[in-house]
Amino acid sequence: MSRIGVFICHCGENISRTVDVERVAALVGTLPGVAFSTDYKYMCSDPGQGLLKKAIQEQRLSHVVVAACSPRMHEKTFRKAVESAGLNPFLCEMANIREHCSWVHEDRDEATAKAVEIVGMMVERVKKNRVLPTITVPVTKRSLVIGGGIAGIQAALDIADAGHEVVLVEREPSIGGHMAQLSETFPTLDCSQCIMTPKMVDVANHPKITLYTYAEIEQVEGYIGNFQVTVRKKARSVDEDKCTGCGVCMTKCPQKKIPNTFDRNLGMRPAIYVPFPQAVPNTPVIDRENCTKFKTGKCGVCQKVCGPGAVDYEQEDQLIVEPVGAIVVATGFDLYSIEEKPKGSPIKGYGEFGHGKIPDVIDGMTFERLASASGPTGGKILRPSDGREPKQIVFIQCVGSRAREKGISYCSKICCMYTAKHTMLYHHKVHDGQAYVFFMDARTPGKSYDEFWRRSIEEEEAVYIRGMVSRLYQKGDKIVVMGSDIAVGVQVEIEADMVVLATAVQPQKGADTLAQKLGISYDKYHFYSEAHAKLRPVECATAGIYLAGACQGPKDIPDTVSQASAAAAKVMTLFAKDKLEREPIVARVREAGCVGCFYCQKVCPYGAVEEKEIRDRQGNLVKVVAYVNPGVCGGCGTCQATCPSKSVELDGYTDEQIVAMIEAL
Amino acid sequence: MTPKNILKYAYYPGCSLHASAGEYDLSTRELFKKLNIGLTEVPDWFCCGATPAHNVDELLSLSLCAKNLELAEQVDGDLAVACAACFSRLKTTQHVLGENAVKRKQVEKAIDAPVPLSGNVKHLLDILARDLGLERLEQAVAKPLSGLKVACYYGCLLTRPNDVPNLDCVEAPTIMEDVLKAVGAETVAWSHRLECCGANFTLSRPGVVIQLSHAILDSAKAAGADCIMVACPLCHGNLDIRQKEIEGVYNALYAMPVFYITQLVGLAAGLGADKLGLDALIVNPMPLLKEKGLV
Repeated sequence: MSRIGVFICHCGENISRTVDVERVAALVGTLPGVAFSTDYKYMCSDPGQGLLKKAIQEQRLSHVVVAACSPRMHEKTFRKAVESAGLNPFLCEMANIREHCSWVHEDRDEATAKAVEIVGMMVERVKKNRVLPTITVPVTKRSLVIGGGIAGIQAALDIADAGHEVVLVEREPSIGGHMAQLSETFPTLDCSQCIMTPKMVDVANHPKITLYTYAEIEQVEGYIGNFQVTVRKKARSVDEDKCTGCGVCMTKCPQKKIPNTFDRNLGMRPAIYVPFPQAVPNTPVIDRENCTKFKTGKCGVCQKVCGPGAVDYEQEDQLIVEPVGAIVVATGFDLYSIEEKPKGSPIKGYGEFGHGKIPDVIDGMTFERLASASGPTGGKILRPSDGREPKQIVFIQCVGSRAREKGISYCSKICCMYTAKHTMLYHHKVHDGQAYVFFMDARTPGKSYDEFWRRSIEEEEAVYIRGMVSRLYQKGDKIVVMGSDIAVGVQVEIEADMVVLATAVQPQKGADTLAQKLGISYDKYHFYSEAHAKLRPVECATAGIYLAGACQGPKDIPDTVSQASAAAAKVMTLFAKDKLEREPIVARVREAGCVGCFYCQKVCPYGAVEEKEIRDRQGNLVKVVAYVNPGVCGGCGTCQATCPSKSVELDGYTDEQIVAMIEAL
Repeated sequence: MTPKNILKYAYYPGCSLHASAGEYDLSTRELFKKLNIGLTEVPDWFCCGATPAHNVDELLSLSLCAKNLELAEQVDGDLAVACAACFSRLKTTQHVLGENAVKRKQVEKAIDAPVPLSGNVKHLLDILARDLGLERLEQAVAKPLSGLKVACYYGCLLTRPNDVPNLDCVEAPTIMEDVLKAVGAETVAWSHRLECCGANFTLSRPGVVIQLSHAILDSAKAAGADCIMVACPLCHGNLDIRQKEIEGVYNALYAMPVFYITQLVGLAAGLGADKLGLDALIVNPMPLLKEKGLV
């Protein structure tokens, strides 16, 4: 016989304003099986929980129903309280009479009657609850970090410094990411390379970090604490162990006319190359698509000149399986291109800016390469078309960002600041030049940010024009910028020598494919989704996977580094215990009824369903049934809804429990 | 010819084509006759409200267009529209009433009939480039416009408003160039093909029109164009009729003939000057056409 205790919460006035809580407590107290029923102002408070624990002991309660807010809010709180009083936590249920009742109704009598029904349903349900033991799984204390930009580097270093092994996987031939391309960084104008490259070297030298560059994630299996990750290490055509990084192959390579993507195609590079001189690892890679040897079979110069004999044309892709317990995703961003977009794309290009066909209309990253001391012009601001120094330069902000009609409605966050920085760099390098900025709003929240922006106007003489540009067109060797100054209410036309577009920050190409491999969710722009926008900003909804940097949303360097360290801290928290406790809300197969159709296996989003052979005593195979691996099961219940013979049930959400609730109505 | 290939349309000329832009009407009818495309004028059609109506009263402007759409239902085939403003208004009306059930009810009460939302409204350019198709257009060419450098001028309304399903890309359309290349002309790349000519400020504030249309003529000339091609009677008026005045104000010489799309395609199809109303153009196109051997 059940001895159920029911506790009705006032939630201050949130519930008691519309629900007569005392009446609910009195009515519910008469239900069969209810041994104790009461109401209290704040059940979640310390005295409220004390009341609960005392009642369990004094009244010898067998089950508990707390009628209060949503279980999403406080289920954990009350289950913990119940556990500390000596009951199994899964014998406690919550009845939601706040979100589902008091907040959405006005009539007190009707709301009270509904609250009684809601609580009554949970009373019938809790009678069917079973004792569920906590599931423990072992934790592999190694971490995978995907992406070797500043986010991935920071996360990898933090985790490795804590004494845990890290596998860092980077798609490009070198780590460094976009930060390695930048010239100087706001708000202090220190050189990006100078603060970045030491960290890159630290990664290469760290005994706890295994670095795979020119590699991609092929497959991810398993679950929190126990992932099996397959890494595809693409054929570099150069043996990393033999190569000394002398660079002779690069100087001797006869094919030197390949656009240098690291320099935003402003310069050329050979077919065997490192992306930039400070690359880590300093091992070249052969770009097989453009290499004469691979295209025609004739050449082989690099192999001939390589002293240590490191060049290996026969090298093949390698698949490496790495067991890890946690994954940090730090794949970063890409920039919106104004070029013509394929038909049907939700993102539209900028026909009014020439669809990217005017040579001296460049984007912010290209300007970074021009301004970088190690860039293709050695840090001189020169026009790509004719190499002249631009004397009138126009910066346009919000290109692609905050432009719903172009398909992107969000703010890219970093452009106001980097455009202000660009005007300063320009003023430092072209003393007799004039910079103009077209902007919608200047968004400069951040430590020392607004001061920085003001400086670009007050000391560095940038002219800011509030308004957007309607059209750019080439006129002779000038670019005519047609815009409006909405502060004055006039049309503005500037004949510029160069135009720099602050194009929107977008996720890396292929972000969606990677997310599907990892089983994490993403938004319509393909930015990865955090578990909670405010309270769980670095965790994915999928347990054991964490986010760092711009793959989650546009971020500047300080924010990226902060989030990377936060993700690392989350990984270390996970690694602090040898065993991981999991909620036992998992599916269970009733083997007697299972016919082995494996529909459950097809629908399971977690890959938790395995095949299990049933044999008789002589060892003859009787049948093959489904088995749900409790470590992998995410507790979604899809298998339960799918099973044609009703042979799989989710613990805590069994048909018996649900039917009991319906019958109570 | 299989029945599928027979093209026929209801024709909505719009007010201008019955008045100041008679040559656009004439050349449209002649060209379509030549191309074996059926064109039946919508009986009893009236003004679409153009730009003024929707600035004064949205319900009035929607109702005017809706009634015309309803009248067009009497004639078989999609609705062919020549004027850019009529096209934009009729398309917009269909779009707005399709999205907004409240406005649709108001309009249906005003015109006392259901609004046909499914019928296709098509600009002549659309018919030439897509229904007939560039390939068949090419086959219909009797006299290719070789050597004629044309600045295709879209103006504002042909591809706007942005959110209404439209003729072509708002910011970088190519449909005019596609059609002209099919008939052998050369099109120039120029900066002002989508800028406003000043439109109906031509009556209330001609100074604005002179300034804006000057920029267009100037840009077409700088790009090396022999002539400009338009598909809107108002653009035509501003660039052609006011050209002499603009030349006076800016002390420039353009002598830049401004053709309607149907006139140039008509020429290529082998129609004579009399059937295209070329004599109605203010800037005399004959010297240019003679020089290029087209008349």
